[in-house]
Parts: sequence; structure tokens; C-alpha cells
Amino acid sequence: MTQRATGQRFRQRKLSTKQNLPVLREHEVEQLQDDDATRHIPKVETGVEKGEEIEHHLQAVISAAQAAAQGGGTVAQLYIPTPDAVQSKLQYEDLYPRHFTQPATYIRFSSTVEDTIGVAYCMTIEDAGWLKAYNQKKGKSVHCPEDEFEECMNFFEETSQTKQPYATVDNAPVLSYEDLEAEFDETISESARRFAKDIYSHWKNQRLLKNNRPLLPSLKFETNLETDDSDPYVCFRRREVRQVRKTRGRDAQVTEKLKKLRKELEEARFLMSQVKRREFMIRDQLAMDKQIFDQRSAVKEIKRKLGVKESDEELLINQKPPSKPKQKNEQAAIRRELPGGHRPPLTRPDGRLVDSDLVYLDDQLAKKQEAIDGFIEENLMKHQKWNVGWVDKTWRPITPPLEQPASKSDFRRVFTSSQLPTPPASVSDDEIGDTISVHPRKQLEPRRSTRIRYATPPDDVPYQDQTRYRRRVGRGGRQMIDRRGVKRQKLEPIEERILDRYKYDGDSSEDEEVYPVDWTDNLHIRYRIMIERQGDKQHAQVAAQNRRAIENHNRSASGHLLPPSNPAAAAASA
Amino acid sequence: MAPRENSHEPSGTPVPVETGYATLATLRTGVKAYVEKEGGLRKAEILNQAVRGGHLKFYVHYEEFNKRLDEWVSTDRIDLTKPVEWPAPEKPEKKKAQAPKKDVPPRPDQKNLKRSRSKLDREISATPSEATSVNIPGKAPRPSKAGGKENKEIVVTSEVPDGSTPKPEDEEMDLVDVQDAAAQAKAAAPENFSREEEIEKLRTGGSMTQNQTEISRVRNLDKIQMGKYEVEPWYFSPYPIDFVDSEMVYICEFCLSYYGEVTSFERHRSKCTLLHPPGNEIYRDDNVSFFEIDGRRQRTWCRNLCLLSKLFLDHKTLYYDVDPFLFYCMAVRDEHGCHLVGYFSKEKESAEGYNVACILTLPQYQRKGYGKVLIDFSYLLSKRENKLGSPEKPLSDLGLLGYRAYWQEVIVDLLIEDKVEANIEDIGAVTAMTTNDVLHTLQNLNMLRYSKNQHVIVLTDAVIEQRERQKAKEKIKGKRNIDPEKLIWKPPVFSAASRTWNW
Repeated sequence: MTQRATGQRFRQRKLSTKQNLPVLREHEVEQLQDDDATRHIPKVETGVEKGEEIEHHLQAVISAAQAAAQGGGTVAQLYIPTPDAVQSKLQYEDLYPRHFTQPATYIRFSSTVEDTIGVAYCMTIEDAGWLKAYNQKKGKSVHCPEDEFEECMNFFEETSQTKQPYATVDNAPVLSYEDLEAEFDETISESARRFAKDIYSHWKNQRLLKNNRPLLPSLKFETNLETDDSDPYVCFRRREVRQVRKTRGRDAQVTEKLKKLRKELEEARFLMSQVKRREFMIRDQLAMDKQIFDQRSAVKEIKRKLGVKESDEELLINQKPPSKPKQKNEQAAIRRELPGGHRPPLTRPDGRLVDSDLVYLDDQLAKKQEAIDGFIEENLMKHQKWNVGWVDKTWRPITPPLEQPASKSDFRRVFTSSQLPTPPASVSDDEIGDTISVHPRKQLEPRRSTRIRYATPPDDVPYQDQTRYRRRVGRGGRQMIDRRGVKRQKLEPIEERILDRYKYDGDSSEDEEVYPVDWTDNLHIRYRIMIERQGDKQHAQVAAQNRRAIENHNRSASGHLLPPSNPAAAAASA
Repeated sequence: MAPRENSHEPSGTPVPVETGYATLATLRTGVKAYVEKEGGLRKAEILNQAVRGGHLKFYVHYEEFNKRLDEWVSTDRIDLTKPVEWPAPEKPEKKKAQAPKKDVPPRPDQKNLKRSRSKLDREISATPSEATSVNIPGKAPRPSKAGGKENKEIVVTSEVPDGSTPKPEDEEMDLVDVQDAAAQAKAAAPENFSREEEIEKLRTGGSMTQNQTEISRVRNLDKIQMGKYEVEPWYFSPYPIDFVDSEMVYICEFCLSYYGEVTSFERHRSKCTLLHPPGNEIYRDDNVSFFEIDGRRQRTWCRNLCLLSKLFLDHKTLYYDVDPFLFYCMAVRDEHGCHLVGYFSKEKESAEGYNVACILTLPQYQRKGYGKVLIDFSYLLSKRENKLGSPEKPLSDLGLLGYRAYWQEVIVDLLIEDKVEANIEDIGAVTAMTTNDVLHTLQNLNMLRYSKNQHVIVLTDAVIEQRERQKAKEKIKGKRNIDPEKLIWKPPVFSAASRTWNW
């Protein structure tokens, strides 16, 4: 055939699968019955096993189809005969109840057969007979249900399978009841255990009948014996790991990967060894420190004994010498010393600390801030001096923003005496004690902050008990101090409501009277809402301004920043 | 090796057959006699004999009939008035078995010389004895293997040499010889697969065997009960050997577990809660649902399915486990659950580009058009994967007819849409069919012609008429169509770890 095909190649072109071919109807193509025409088209195999291709029924159907394709008219449709499937006599409805309801979405399911079939052991007809006889013998008081029976049988089967996996091969004896009982676990329920002993005898008999082979019919898997291969019943053998194709590229890739791994491992190892070295050094250093401490205290002891009155400070080499007269520096040095061994004491060859020459960023920043504050302060004072003797009419009409609504309201007085607007956000880094110190300073320039801020109260004090002050400027420049939460000595038990009523009373202003107010009154509620709305915007701005002003003021007033750790410094110097 | 293999030897020198007259007493396995079948006489080979129900019966295979028609016949159906053919005597038989082996050695895996060499060891030393090993007890053709898990395979890279292994120097020589022979053998495709070759091939993929020894078995189950039906099995399936004595094997319609007696089966049904194939539903329309099941995750169910389908698929092999396959199961729904109608399996990764490994419509649902739905669905999956697909070979007779019908329908429909030109590869791309299958179909329908100095595709009147008739029939009966919109599926991706098949 191959020869003939090559011979024809000159006459006809080969069929190309990539080339577009015209699609024609039968009548459009001339009816030349040249058998050779199709010969050079490569014959495609049917894909059916050679031996079976010749089978009678298949050939019959194929030739019928071919006849039809050639235009041989209608041919009765042929079928390959197959053995029958008939309706079963079993009661389908009983065996397969109507349990299925189709979910709206596609089913997703991952439970296995083992999960869904319950106890694997299913009673045989012999089991059923035995169980019936057993239950009759026992009478009505003890009745062994089928489920429990199967549970027991299943347990015996599984246990013997795990304990004697080769029972079929090495003719091991049937396990004794004691052996099985010792294995009882959660797979066998309490109720089933009651019958275990009785069922065992039945199970043992069944096993003996089967030469101690498993009672349930099971598939034959590979046993690694030579008989495996010729045994048609051995199925589902394991597969080997599939071999990956070896190429030079893959080899190189593997080498690269290994190299990289190796390098990374080396690096990690080096890191670890360095860490180890460091830790050893730290340990040694600690030992040194301890030794130094011990020896110093020894020296101290000796000094005491000998009555040397010199200061012990001299002994400490790694102590910053108090050469500089400035108090501040000394304090700083002590403070620096305090945190302990965090900074290993660096000394210069001449014994002085390197530290002493260093300029600290903190100090620098503080100085800068101080300079700015001083400048502002100076200008403010200057401004005030210019204005001495002058009455400034320009600022007076400008009332504080929050007071504005109050001034328009008929109830201003009531408000001023008892209704506190929400205090502005307070400066966070000042302690409560500072609030008091603000007051005297404030007197100096009353115009700078027309409103008073609140310091952040400590969190742990309940809101009601916090002491709060506020100063307000009323019409005509009157100043009012409101306070709140000031504890007074209780002379006699006062009713709480009355106490609450006089809460903001006292030395705020003599000329003000107390108006008992109903806070739930419509008017007041509306008023409070109004404050909320109007105040919101200005509030934030004003608060920020005020805060800045007060901060600056705080610093400038004292001339320099007080070290925050006063008590610590005192302790060190003691 | 089964003696009937010679009957399938397609070529070669015809072995003179000894004929003569036989009596019932002299009839034995391998004898070919005339047996009454469907009112006529047909030559049939006796494969087995046994006393069943007090009568002597013979299991016969009719020549040129499919094995699914093999059956047990009573003695009165055997016509002894005609001469019988005696089986060829043992001696030449042995030679014959050996001869093709030499001609057609396995193709050695050049890239893996070590393995192929050990394979050759067996080829040379073990095979001849294997051919007759049934008769020679105690002879160990295969050395025992170490008990390690990984080592249980048929092909091992290092074998302990035993008595039957040739000396190393012989081995070297043979290796060269065999390689030369292999080069020649490549030119002419091997007609017979040796068992080792087969197993090696199956180890890495595929589910269909081409090996005669694998499939020439006497049917072992008489009848199965499944769902509403009783079905006669067609072929051997390695169900537990205990079932040989059972009149009926009961198979649970949902979990496909098997029971030798009705009591156990009824007990099982009272406990079984499964109502559909245990996987994810990937397609649902008014008629059917498709479930995707991973052989690795649902090992028991898939094994049960394979055992069941082996009853109806001759060339299917259950030699290796189900892990590398995905199973696409078609089910019809009612209030009882989703009843399995058919399925096809598919390799997770097919080296040969197969999109179907095994495909089966259960006999109780056959001739209802479900086969076409299954095939259509398999091509729909291939379209989603942007791949061309073809079913794994060999096809069965029914498989071939089913596929041909589907291919014809698809291609004719495509061409009929007033196309002026078509190109074979494009047809393949649109239908997810391989070029070869398109070619095969066109050729088979006599649609490829040569006219006016060029090839043309002819939509023959016969083909159009056939299609028309089919459409008319579909109008009456209603056609089950697959709606691609209803497929909710992404091609599953398997990590490198899950692609290696050990566990």
C-alpha cells in the first residue's frame, strides 16, 4: 500500500488538514467513480481491537451504516445484541425511601462511602437466624437489636483484622474473647457490649467455618506474593511515583536549586554562630560587671574600716565626673546613669567619659524651643507695654464664640451659673496639678486666652468626682470661676439632690443667684442641641489655638523646662 | 495464556488444525465445536466446564461474536454430529507463545536504561516460563520483592537475581540485541502487547487493556440487582471471589456497595444515607446532573464504580488503583435520589491527550440516548480546557458506534450551516475533536472526495437525509441536550504533590 501511495503522489496532492476545503453538496460534484481518489487519504484506524473488529454484529452494523452513507436508501437500524436488563422483583420503594430533596444550588459533597453507610457489617441470613433464636431464648426482658448485633460483629471483625492481619496466610487461631474484650473502645457502644460475650460465640463459629477468614466478602488486594500477578481477582494495585522526564535543563535547575539552598543554609549557620558568640560575650560582660560591683563594695567596706571620709563617688570610674558646675548638667548626668547597664560606660584614654562632650538632641531641641518661646513672650510683653494706659475698645465687643449663643439667649444667666458647655479638648501631656499653676500666670495677660481649658483628669477618678475649674469672662469684663467636684467636708448628710443643686455654688460669684432648673425642660433641650451644632466647628479650632497658647505660656513662665523626673533625680543625689 | 489466542492471530502461517469427532466425555477446554445459538449452529470454543444444578454445562465463546454473548450451555445444545477442532497440542503452543515475544520485544525506555534493563531480565527469563507457569507450580518466575511500600510494583529498578536470571554477560548481549529488534519493531506497530509492556503502560496511565490474557476470562457473576433492575453482567469483574456462588449480587444504587445475599443488602439499605454520587455537582439541567468525583478522595466509591463498570467493559482493567482518574457521573433525579445512569472516567493528566478513559451507560439505561449526552459532556469539558480530546483506545464495538454517531452528528451539523469552506483542523478546534477523529469521520461517511484536482468535502445526500430523519425523530422523542451555560466547572488543577501517585 505504501508503494502505491508514493506512486500516486505525483498525480494527486496529499490531503492537508490545515488547508481550507470547499464544502459541496452531492449534486455539485461530478460523479466520477474513481476508487483511487480516496486511496491516498491516510486510512484511519477505528480504534477497536483488531480481533474484535471482525465480530459479526459490529460488522453488520458498520456495513449497514456504510450502505446508508453511500446512499443505499433506508436500512433498518441494526443493534448489537446485549444481554438483558429486566425489572427487579425487589420492592424498590421499601429499599429506597423517598428522602431526596433537591437543593436549589448545585450539590457540594465530600463525605466518603465509609462516612455514609454506618456500621460496615451487614447481617447475613445465618446471623439473622441466630439472632432470632437468641432473642427468643432470652425472653422479652433482654432483646438484642440488629444494630447492636452488627456493631459487635463489626467490632470483632475489625479488631481481628488489625490484630491478625495475616490470619488468612498463617492460619492463626481465632482470637479469644478476652483478647477482644481488652480492645473495647468507643467504636462499640455500651448497649452493644452487653451482648458481646454471647455474640462472640456465634462470631467464632462463623469464623471457624471460614477458616478464620474475614466474614465480609472483600476484594483481593496485592499481597506481595507471586500468585498476585496471575490472579485475576487481585485489583487496584498501588501505583509508583511517576517518573519525571529527565532533561539537561531540569538537571541544571536542580543543581541551581541545591546550590542556593546550600548557600542559604551556610548563611543561616553563620548567623547563628555569631549570635552565639554575642551571647557568650554578654554573659562574660555580666560576670565582669558583677565582679566590679563586688570589688567596689569590698573597697567601700575597707574605706569604712579605715575611716576614709572621701566620697565614694571617686571609686566609680565609669561615673561622669561632676566637674561642670552647672546643676542641670549634673542632673542630666545622673539621670543618664540611672537606667543602669544599658549603655556600657565608654571611657576615653584620659579617663573622662565620652558622654560628657556629647550634645544631646533633647537638650538642643529644648533650647531652641526656649528661644522661640522667649521671643514670643518678649513681644507679647512689649505689646502690652505699648498699650498701657490705653483702653482697647476693639476687643471688648468680641465675646468668646461659645458665649455668643448665650448672650442672645434670655436664659443666659441660668446657663452661666450652672450649664457648662463641653470643655475643649485638653492638653494631654500636662498633669492635673498644672491646672492650678495656670491661674496665677493667667492673670498676666488676660486677653490672650479668654477661655479656660481643663486639664485631663486622671482616668481612674469617676467623672463626678473630678475637680474642675473654669474661668469665664462675662459682660463688662467680669470674671467668673466655676468649679466642680470640689469635695467639702460633710457636716451633715445632705440629700443628694440638694447637694447636686448647689454643686457649682460657692465662691464663684457672690452676686449670682441659683436658679433651680429643670434639665428636661423643652427649652433647655433645644438649647443644648443648638450649642452642639454651633459649637462643633469653632470648637475644634478654638481648642487647638488655646492649647498652643497655654503650652507656650507654660514653658515661658518658668524660664526653662523643669525636668519631669524630679523625684528620681532627688533619689540619685541622695 | 488462553488457548483461544490463536484464533485471533490475524496473520502468520495458518496452523493446521486437527479435527475429528468428539463425545461428551472427550470435550474439554479449548475444543471448538458447533453450538446451537439463536436457531442456528455456530462454531464456539469451550472455555470452561462445570456441573451446575446437577447437569454438566459448558461455558462457550462463539466465534466472531462479542464475549458478552458467551454463556453456559447445556450439553444438548452442542452438536456432536459435526466434527470438532481439537486445541493445538501443548508443545507447539508453547513455541508459538514464545515466538511473537522475540519478534516484538518491548520498546526499551532509552532514557531510563536501568529500568528497561531490569524489565528485560524478566522479559527474557521470566516470560517463557510465565507462559506456562499455570502448569508448573513452584517455579518462581519473579523474584520476591522487598516489603517496602514503594516497592510493591511490578517493575522494580533493582531485582535480586535468582536462578532463572541470566548471567550478567548474557544480559549485556541481550540488551543490544533487543534494542536493535526494538528499532525494527517500531516500524511495524506491535500486534500483540506483552503482559509486561501492558502493565508498564498501565502503570503510568490509561485504563484500557489490550492484553488478551487480561480479558479472556469466564464471566463470574450471574446476575446483579441494582435499583429497579436486574442486569446480566457481560464480562468478568474482580468482585470478591465469594460471589461466584451467589445467584444474585445486590448492588446499592447510591454507594455501589455489593452484597452476596438479600438479607445483608436490606440491612445495608436501612443504614446507607448516600443519595447521590459523593462529589460536587457540576452540571444540572431538567433531565440529568453531572457529578465530578476524584478517585483519590473517594477511593471506595470509585473502586465500586469500576468494579461495576468492569461487568460491562471488556477491555477495562482494574490492575491499578483509581487515584489518577476523575469520574464524571451522570445521574437522573427523583424523590429517591440521584440514580447513576452512566459515567466516564478521565485521567487527571493524560499523556496521550485522551479526554475519556472509560465510558459507560449502565445497561438498564442503554438505547435511550444517554451515551450521546455523556460523549457530548466529555467534549464540553475539553472545550472548557481548550484542549482537543479523543477517547482512550481500544474502543469497544458499542463505543465505536456511539462515537461515530456523535462525530457524524456534530460534524454534519457544523457543515450544514451553509459553509462554503471548511478546514479539518478548524472543525476539530470548534468541536474539541482531534484531527484524526474528524478525518476518520469524514472518510467513513465518504465525504472526502477528490474533484477537479483538489480535495473537497461533500455533504452527501445520504448524510443530510440521515440527519434530517434523526431530527424528526428527536422532535418526537425529545432530545437530551447539554447546555454549556449550565456547566459550573473549572478544570481542576493538581499540585505537584498530588500528581505523584504514591500515598
